[in-house]
Amino acid sequence: MTEQEVLGEIQRLLADIAESKGEDAPEINGQVELLGGELPIDSLDLASLVRELEDVTGHDPFKDGFIDFRTAGELARLYVR
Amino acid sequence: MTGGVAGPGRAAGRAAAEPGALGLAAHDRTPLVARALAGQPDTVTRGGLWALSDALTARLRADGFRRVLVRSDDPTHILRAIEGCHAVGADLWIAHTNLPDPFIEEFTRRFGIELVVGDSDRPTGVTPVAGGPARRIHMMTSGTTGEPKVAIHTLESLLSRVRSGARVSVNRAGKWLLTYQPTGFAGLQVALTAVLSHGLLVIPEERTPLGFYQAAVDHGVTQVSATATFWRSLLMVAKPGALGLRQITLGGEAVDQATLTRLRTAFPDTRITHIYASTEAGVVFAVHDGREGFPAAWLQGPVQGVELRIRDGFLHIKTPNAMRAYATEAEQPLGEDGWLKTADQCEVRDDRVYILGRQDSTINVAGSKVYPLSVERFLLGLSGVLEARVFGVPNPVAGAIVGAEVVLAEGLDPKATRMEILKACREQLPGYQVPRAFKIVDAIQVKASGKKG
Repeated sequence: MTEQEVLGEIQRLLADIAESKGEDAPEINGQVELLGGELPIDSLDLASLVRELEDVTGHDPFKDGFIDFRTAGELARLYVR
Repeated sequence: MTGGVAGPGRAAGRAAAEPGALGLAAHDRTPLVARALAGQPDTVTRGGLWALSDALTARLRADGFRRVLVRSDDPTHILRAIEGCHAVGADLWIAHTNLPDPFIEEFTRRFGIELVVGDSDRPTGVTPVAGGPARRIHMMTSGTTGEPKVAIHTLESLLSRVRSGARVSVNRAGKWLLTYQPTGFAGLQVALTAVLSHGLLVIPEERTPLGFYQAAVDHGVTQVSATATFWRSLLMVAKPGALGLRQITLGGEAVDQATLTRLRTAFPDTRITHIYASTEAGVVFAVHDGREGFPAAWLQGPVQGVELRIRDGFLHIKTPNAMRAYATEAEQPLGEDGWLKTADQCEVRDDRVYILGRQDSTINVAGSKVYPLSVERFLLGLSGVLEARVFGVPNPVAGAIVGAEVVLAEGLDPKATRMEILKACREQLPGYQVPRAFKIVDAIQVKASGKKG
């Protein structure tokens, strides 16, 4: 997947999370900070987002340890193969 | 059964008048075990079991065997091994059949076992040693993680609650469905209760929910003792009206209110009991009021012959029916003061004690402790959820997240129901307890012990 495709998946998964919380689906771009307060998610939502991304991409970038990321773009790049 | 066995009345091992441990009689033609062998119906009578035990007694005596291991899921073999070992004062080990051969071989060497009892009885070649402790019965735990632990019991500790259960009128001459692993503590309790209450033990041909249900219908089963997981799966296949149940018993796992309530609705006239028991503690107490947990008043004084207390959140038990010790472990849960420490964590709310689950099963979600059982209970209480399994999933962000698999009632839209379930979780559970890896499945794997995998 390209970075843009992974960003699309992140957008879709965030919409699911928002919907299950009764919130509006957020618009995202590569620069948005995931836990920066603009998105209606907390760290546990982020945990489930990462989990879902592993399913969607078939790839676990964290399998050898944690890698820092703050923005949606930084996260998306971890899944680019 | 097997050929070359002493027939009823031809007492090879002992005098025909001798009652033995299980109250069998040589000429009793009452059916005791009903099963299917290679698809053919097969019945062992009480006199038949007497004869099989007698033949084993004769062999143990002739060869001087004092350490016997039985490895079979056929309760006939387990019961004749108990009776035979008791008659000659031998030690008995009861082994699960799903353990690998090398484990059993190493086990027989370690404990100096001389004879392995099963479909054919096989000497191990170990030279019998006279003397030493005798008449102990070694039971294996289900071994959820790693190798099973071995608890040392006596026939007395195993039979204590069986005797009182066999006297309860609802249990007289009952027909018992053997749902548990026959080699485990719960399975043996059911088999022994069927023997002592002059009942029939029904063994299904296939150990599937449908196989159990069919066997229960075919044999007119009246008593079923099983895990809560088993009951939920039976409710998915059974027509409750086709079963004439007198007694429903739940054990082996903590019981949730939703399952108790569903059973009460499906079987309005049946006595429903849930039991707290373990391989280590034996049968501790039985609850009949239809509510999960047990009355907090039971912490105040002896109840059903046992004492209960909570220390540091864990259930402690003082009971005459506990194992003597582990044969295999360095750390012993039975203190010098006679209190047995369990790994079950409890919580007192109002007038009730609730069992939260085992210490080793907790999930650490971003530093918060989650008891899988309490989330399972919540999911099972939602409409449309027939079965649920909750477990930890490693996660880079939160350390671990709560994973859940659920089985839905037929005819529900998976997508809409999924959203409803997740919404209910988000609204009613603390955030860290909400399942973050959520899957709708057709069935949930059950282990040999009848517990969820």
